Amino acid sequence: MITEQKVKEFLQTGGYIADDAIATAVFLALHMEKPILIEGPPGVGKTGLAKALSEALDFPLVRLQCYEGIDEGKALYDWEYGKQLLYTQLLRTQLDNYLSVSADLREAVERLSAEESLFFSENFLVQRPILRSFLSEKRSLLLIDEIDRSDDEFEALLLECLSDFQVSIPELGVIAAKRKPLTILTSNGTRMISDALRRRCLYLYIGYPELEREVAIVRVKFPDLCEVLARQMVEFLRKARELNLRKPPSVSETLDWAQVLSILKATQLTPEVVANTVGVIAKHQTDLEKVTALAVKELS
Amino acid sequence: MERIIVRFVAALRKSGIRVSPSESLDAVQALALAGMEGRRFSRQLLRLTLVKNVHDIELFNEVFNRFFNRFQSVDPDLDMPDLMDAAVISMEGEFNYLNQLPGEDHDEGPLLKLDSDIAPEDLQDLKSLHEIDPDDSDGNEIVVQMKGYRGKAKAPRPTRRYTQNPLTIELNKSNGVERGVTFSPEEQAEMQDVVSRMMLRLRKDMRRMKNNQNRGKLHVIKTIQKNYRHDMVPFQVALRRKRREKPRLVVLCDVSFSVSHASRFMLLLLHTLHNQMLDVRSFIFNREVAEITEMLANMPVNDLMETIDKGDIVDLDENSSFGQVFLNFKKRYLENLRGRPAFIILGDARNNYDEANDWVLDEIREKARYMLWLTPEDHDTWSRGDCLMETYGSYCDKVEVVKTVQDLSLVVEDLLRDIYADQAHPLDKKRLLEAKAAEIYDSKDYYTRGASGGSQPGFDPGRRSHW
Repeated sequence: MITEQKVKEFLQTGGYIADDAIATAVFLALHMEKPILIEGPPGVGKTGLAKALSEALDFPLVRLQCYEGIDEGKALYDWEYGKQLLYTQLLRTQLDNYLSVSADLREAVERLSAEESLFFSENFLVQRPILRSFLSEKRSLLLIDEIDRSDDEFEALLLECLSDFQVSIPELGVIAAKRKPLTILTSNGTRMISDALRRRCLYLYIGYPELEREVAIVRVKFPDLCEVLARQMVEFLRKARELNLRKPPSVSETLDWAQVLSILKATQLTPEVVANTVGVIAKHQTDLEKVTALAVKELS
Repeated sequence: MERIIVRFVAALRKSGIRVSPSESLDAVQALALAGMEGRRFSRQLLRLTLVKNVHDIELFNEVFNRFFNRFQSVDPDLDMPDLMDAAVISMEGEFNYLNQLPGEDHDEGPLLKLDSDIAPEDLQDLKSLHEIDPDDSDGNEIVVQMKGYRGKAKAPRPTRRYTQNPLTIELNKSNGVERGVTFSPEEQAEMQDVVSRMMLRLRKDMRRMKNNQNRGKLHVIKTIQKNYRHDMVPFQVALRRKRREKPRLVVLCDVSFSVSHASRFMLLLLHTLHNQMLDVRSFIFNREVAEITEMLANMPVNDLMETIDKGDIVDLDENSSFGQVFLNFKKRYLENLRGRPAFIILGDARNNYDEANDWVLDEIREKARYMLWLTPEDHDTWSRGDCLMETYGSYCDKVEVVKTVQDLSLVVEDLLRDIYADQAHPLDKKRLLEAKAAEIYDSKDYYTRGASGGSQPGFDPGRRSHW
């Protein structure tokens, strides 16, 4: 039995600092076999959580990146037309022999249709991410990334997969998951996800982390960065987030910045250092100015 | 434990969070899974399983504290499991508690009962429904209501009885004096919600339309690329796509005292719509007319409302004059309106006995693809006093009575649908218009047209008319 505390610990060994809510959600998802829907601003570690989990639990990661227009042919399964055509070509002589016994056309068609299932078997099925994770021998981690980019139709398609962990293929019937994968859906909230999908998931909102947690995250990723500097930059970024920027710096920006600072071997945050590296944390022209101004105000 | 969860869920529902039975089952299962030691995380467990929306988290915390803190006072040292037991025990025979949650209306009685109070005859008698809010036309009250999905709530009135749509805000702000010019976060969230739902419905139709728009010429290169794996046998055909136009909209919004409640929400709607999918030019007027397109796009909506309210953009102390406004609009802006925009005018057409100048509308009409007048006043009052609705209305394609945000968003949605349908492939056009007709019949007819006895202005054979 894995408890929340254990979840926290092994995530930490995987380099992911989780808070109580995250650990509890993972714990529940593992035991209740329900998907987690994670929402939050970009760059707070939604996808990172899935990666860290797959590493820590040793579940193979199956990733499905959503985009507008994604359909079942890209997400669930597809028939391999080319292979089907090739096989019919190669098996032509056998087919001729097989069909030549039949007396008339009617019988030939009957004989052929009796063998139809040969051409719609798993042999010719291309497994796309969702089906692949369902058929994986080992319990896998299915990451459905940025679900808000897909269309409503695709969302509806997911309903069956996520509530019953099965895929219906008209030619083959229902294929149930061998091992129910640990499923993680992420969304940036650019579109309302339907209530039907929400209802099937555990809902986890990851916001910007607490001061201590963010410092811990930086320390884990960049152990050689001195603690004072880590704290100073996290505090600075927390202030920057309140500036009403177009793209507020997120945890991923914090980490990028930490990397830059450790490469530059900076020991202290000064307005000059910020001005030189501001492109790492602010991604718009207007934001650049605001952050630089904040640095002058706060750090000098 | 099940009992306490059921009651907690009931409390959540009471405060407006939607929780389905399967979710409460999840919560029970989660608590059981966590075992005794995991109960420290009860709040997280419940939140993960019961709350499915960011905006509800705060409310959840509030309800959680209120719900469980009642037992905290018994003994502050109690931890969560004991607290739960205490809760179960002390709740025996306490059925009334849920009705006593603060911040709720109690005089309404049980929800179910109210529903059954509506007899079929009531629904037929639309006039009586109309009289529920006699103050509507005076602008004392505006009901913000989310529109449910089509067909789900065929409500005869926007009503608080339907718990399906929990986000029902009533703004009992009296006209003018105490009227806050700014919007509360809830109102903005509400509008966001209304608009995003509208966009969702629109987008769905547009996407289907796009598929049909493919019926152009064969795109040879794409077809070859697509069928590479079939040995160039063209199983799948790629067609050229036609260019799609962004709909253009010009909005003239009266901000004078008499319609301030409606224009307020029109402006908020515009602000939310802006940049989403439209090319909107917005103007406000009282006696003067001014363009606020830039400001809408670049300013926080509350700042803008304050600026308007202070009279910095157009003088609010003067009487509104539609004739004057139309004349000025023609002089200053009409020349550089491009691309046959759809025109929306929001105002009560009360001209304070000024020159009507209705011939200007005729000129605007020639430039516009479509012309729509929105008025907060009922049909009965259109011919009274200084109201020129009948005169102006005969130049418009349509005149709609708009009293609630729901009406407003429906009207704008219809308009956008119309514009799209205009450019659409004939096949889609039919389907789009059918969808629209169904929609109108479903939810709107009752309390816009039906209640006011038809919103079409009187037909005047002597004048130019557009239907």
